[in-house]
Amino acid sequence: MTDAAGRPVAVWIRDLGLSLGGVRILDRVSLTVRSRTIHAVVGPNGAGKTSLLRCLAGTMPHTGDIRIRAKGRADIGYVPQSLGLDGALPLTVRDVLNVALHRRPAFLPRRRRPALTALLDRTGAGHLLDRPLAALSGGELRRVLLAQALEPMPTVLLLDEPASNVDTPGMQRFEEILADLRDRHGTTIVLVAHDLAGVARLADWVTAINRAVTYDGPPDRLTDAGVLDRIFGGRQAVQGAV
Amino acid sequence: MQAIYDMVARWAEAGHVPAVFQHAFMVRGLLAALIIGPLLGAVGTLVVAKRLVFFTQTVGHGALTGVALGLLIGEPLGSTYAGLYGFCLAVALAMTFLRHRVPASTDAIVGVVLAQILGLGIIAMVLVTRQYNVHQVEAVLFGSLIALTDQDLAVLAGTALVSAVVLAMSFNAFMLATFSPTLARTRGIRPVICEYLFVAMATVVVVASLKLVGALLVLVLIVLPAATARALARGLVGFFWVSVGAATVSTLAGLMLSTWLPIPTGAAIVVAASVLFYLALPLRWLRQV
Repeated sequence: MTDAAGRPVAVWIRDLGLSLGGVRILDRVSLTVRSRTIHAVVGPNGAGKTSLLRCLAGTMPHTGDIRIRAKGRADIGYVPQSLGLDGALPLTVRDVLNVALHRRPAFLPRRRRPALTALLDRTGAGHLLDRPLAALSGGELRRVLLAQALEPMPTVLLLDEPASNVDTPGMQRFEEILADLRDRHGTTIVLVAHDLAGVARLADWVTAINRAVTYDGPPDRLTDAGVLDRIFGGRQAVQGAV
Repeated sequence: MQAIYDMVARWAEAGHVPAVFQHAFMVRGLLAALIIGPLLGAVGTLVVAKRLVFFTQTVGHGALTGVALGLLIGEPLGSTYAGLYGFCLAVALAMTFLRHRVPASTDAIVGVVLAQILGLGIIAMVLVTRQYNVHQVEAVLFGSLIALTDQDLAVLAGTALVSAVVLAMSFNAFMLATFSPTLARTRGIRPVICEYLFVAMATVVVVASLKLVGALLVLVLIVLPAATARALARGLVGFFWVSVGAATVSTLAGLMLSTWLPIPTGAAIVVAASVLFYLALPLRWLRQV
């Protein structure tokens, strides 16, 4: 797949539509994600950003056409915003990785695996292997979830709100890891975000949606008043968002 | 089976095992306890992780209606397998379908279904009691050691074997679909199919255990051992095996308790499981200090 300028394309979406419970969530959304880029999808709360990501991951029934340049589902990495777990469950980072990465039942004892530490080291989380999940900060949890998504190394990586509940140093570290994945491994990254300042620093391209596409262009124009009005529908909302 | 009963009876006469095991029904109860305990303890970890406790209780309560429907379609008393398994599975799958299709909370959907199956159960009971004594039908609510037959034990063993295989093969998939359905999908797992498979497995395990534990109390062996394990364990391996151990010890202790005291086996199991739970709590508090 290539775009009009002949550049390779990793994700191609045309006329994507999604309705849930009679409510139109996405309406004729079309966008193109170039290979080896970081592509941010932004928009106000309830705009359909996470639903778009779920359509890409294959968990939402939708209309329209989605094409992903990947060798299969295993070639698509996904980093959820959080895990749908009771915080009191006694789970460690090791347990999460064993569940996500291996077929052998995670309740069977196993020897210590240097491979898991090495995997976590990719995102600077090697020291967290035996840490209880409930004791992780937002930034640490995000790095652990990113590490699991890198095994096997995906061609396309999907991230849902990586900045939520993450402090500034944690987010800076996370942004460095994502930039490294793009530059050194050629990974295409699609991230859903509401932090426009972070998007402006990190992304190569931005698509704003609010049910339909409201902006599609480079991140440096995000600070234009007209663009912000189009994305958020009013300057009041914008003041706090940037 | 008779050879096993005779052998254990000889051990009991020789004083190698407690004298109560001279009776075949006690040996049957012991074998059932050794199957039910580990199985419910294992399934309980996932039921708690998936927050399906109320859901599982409702499936158990469907048993009364299932038994009554089984009798209405002509099954013999004490062997209403089609009614019991068929109705409880239908209830579990219908609730799962509604959870995916109806924009309401799981609690609300399960509550609605619970009210409906109890209403249907009462209607079916009224019809059934024209032929049977109501107490014969109600036995499913409380469980009965004496009513356990070789056929029940065979059904329980078969159910346990299939469930253990499904659990071992799909444990990680069940857990990952709980973490995040979207993450599970990108790992090649179909989370919706996974959920149907899990509720079907949990249902047959619960139903197979009813004869001994009873419909009202089966939830105890799902929740209390997992809660005990949650208080003690530091990781998933400990959580799983402590739950299995606590459920097995509770079942065996309850069985023995019901031979010494004039109380139903299910209620005795509740007492044993509760003791373990309350013993675990201080240990957790001490660890947190």
